[in-house]
Amino acid sequence: MLLATQNLQFPPTRDLIGLLPELILSGAFVILLMLDLVTPPSRRSLLAAVSLVALAAAMGAVVWGWFDADHARTIYAGSFAYDRFGRFVDGIVIASAALTVAISPDYLNRRGLHFGEYYALILAATVGMMLLAGAASLIVIFLGIELLSISLYILSGFAHTETRSQEAALKYLLLGGFASGILLYGMALIYGATGHTQLTLIKQSLAGSSGTDPLFLVGVGLLFVGFAFKVSAAPFHWWTPDVYQGAPTSVTTFMSVATKVAAFASLIRVFTYTFADSTDKWTGIVAFVAIISMVVGNVAALTQTSLKRMLAYSGIAQAGYILIGVAVSPDPLGTVGSLYYLAAYAATNLGAFAVITVLAGRGEDLDSYDGIRGLAYRRPYTAAAMAFFLFSLGGFPPTAGFFAKFLVFSAAIHAHAVYLALWGIGTSVISIFYYLRVGLLMYTRPKEGEETYPWARTSLAGGGVLAASAAGTLVLGILVFLIYTAAVSAQHGVLPVPQQLA
Amino acid sequence: MLTIDAFPILLAISAAMFTIGAAGVLVRRNPLVVFMCIELMLNAVNLALISFGRFLNSQDGQIFAFMVIVVAAAEVVVGLALITQVFRARHDLDVDELSEMSE
Repeated sequence: MLLATQNLQFPPTRDLIGLLPELILSGAFVILLMLDLVTPPSRRSLLAAVSLVALAAAMGAVVWGWFDADHARTIYAGSFAYDRFGRFVDGIVIASAALTVAISPDYLNRRGLHFGEYYALILAATVGMMLLAGAASLIVIFLGIELLSISLYILSGFAHTETRSQEAALKYLLLGGFASGILLYGMALIYGATGHTQLTLIKQSLAGSSGTDPLFLVGVGLLFVGFAFKVSAAPFHWWTPDVYQGAPTSVTTFMSVATKVAAFASLIRVFTYTFADSTDKWTGIVAFVAIISMVVGNVAALTQTSLKRMLAYSGIAQAGYILIGVAVSPDPLGTVGSLYYLAAYAATNLGAFAVITVLAGRGEDLDSYDGIRGLAYRRPYTAAAMAFFLFSLGGFPPTAGFFAKFLVFSAAIHAHAVYLALWGIGTSVISIFYYLRVGLLMYTRPKEGEETYPWARTSLAGGGVLAASAAGTLVLGILVFLIYTAAVSAQHGVLPVPQQLA
Repeated sequence: MLTIDAFPILLAISAAMFTIGAAGVLVRRNPLVVFMCIELMLNAVNLALISFGRFLNSQDGQIFAFMVIVVAAAEVVVGLALITQVFRARHDLDVDELSEMSE
């Protein structure tokens, strides 16, 4: 009887505090849905302001949690990890959400898509990503992935009058559901092989075995395929270009960055840390997928004529670089490199997509390469920002992209996987061509009397977001130790079972 | 009463359901049927989870299966709405025709 009441009691306060940022955003989600009912259509920017306040509060809770989570622990009976690793990723996700919300009202108004549900769905997806980043149980990982995916399915189809947007949403839904099925079957097999769903217990039960149970190995393979879908690594990337191109650009901005960051966090937590004792069984496959992603992403991006598709293929290639950090497990430098890369990727890619969002006019989305021809002569600052982001994506110093690639490649060399570093450097050289092509187009003077795309005026909020992304890209490129130290600290406390950085 | 012998059979059925579902997703062209195949995959997962839970004498599998059922329902809500919307716009349902965006 006593046992029964103990099991049924309300979660203790310290568990609730561990989920504080998620709870703040979930509360804001409900408030936004109700506020939407009483807000007149012309004043929907107010909803964006409310979302920003909630995101700022959640960010505060995350920063507080960073210091509080000095001693990592699991909460809710081992199903959620309260550690610095999760807080680090939460910080990136919330910042991406806030910057996306800031550029959204102007863009949505121009496109005639300004509905209140938009902000509620962005917050719901953010909660899903944060749950995913902290998930320490297969069940919570699944719930996090589905919460973010279902919100993003709706957001991708948010332009309800455009066939492209509908098409993107349906493709995302069908392929995302397929990927979830594969991921779940992998989870079921891992559960069957180890008898647990909590990562800590799975790790314990694996410690005694040789890790050659076929049930377990098939499960790990299926789980990796599911994750590879979510982080859009080749050869599981088919959905990415279509969805990125069809979805409203502000949605693409958010999902290209935040989804990848959260899914990678979970991938690292599950593979590098939970399956740490059987790394020799799966690092080969991860390295293979990393190489395929780098090659396919960079080569396919060369032939694109659509900005969003080019950035989508570039994102596939970036997923390959980040995977290098997973492929060199159990070397902790790999995790640090991946975390740094995720932060750099978030700042840079968000900036690049934000430029396209901010410039989009009333009619079609700004998408074709022709649309940015001569941009530098009309909007010199925006063009300079875009050029800066492209330099960072290409990996030029002194930008974030340079040190991100540097850390990941040096982790590969440190782990005696020099071939991965060589593939990375080789494909980076290819990438310079298509980034420079776009950069040069912006600085091509339009001919006399030639029509340029009717770029929108950059609002204060839009300019602020571009400045913030550029500042982030620059800080990550110059004050490297600021984020590097944070990434090392995040790596130290990662659950289940921390590893020491040599 | 589930005997120990039934366990491999249940797993085999689950694997077969999953394979049929996955093959259906790759082969069938109607988004509604593709969606049904995804549901079949999820139910194969449920069967595997519950069999493992019974075999291992652990409750996690059943809890997990409940979560899968709830989430699958949420996915169906969004999925059917989207499919209806696409059908209204195009009066045609074939995933191969959804190719307005090309390479």
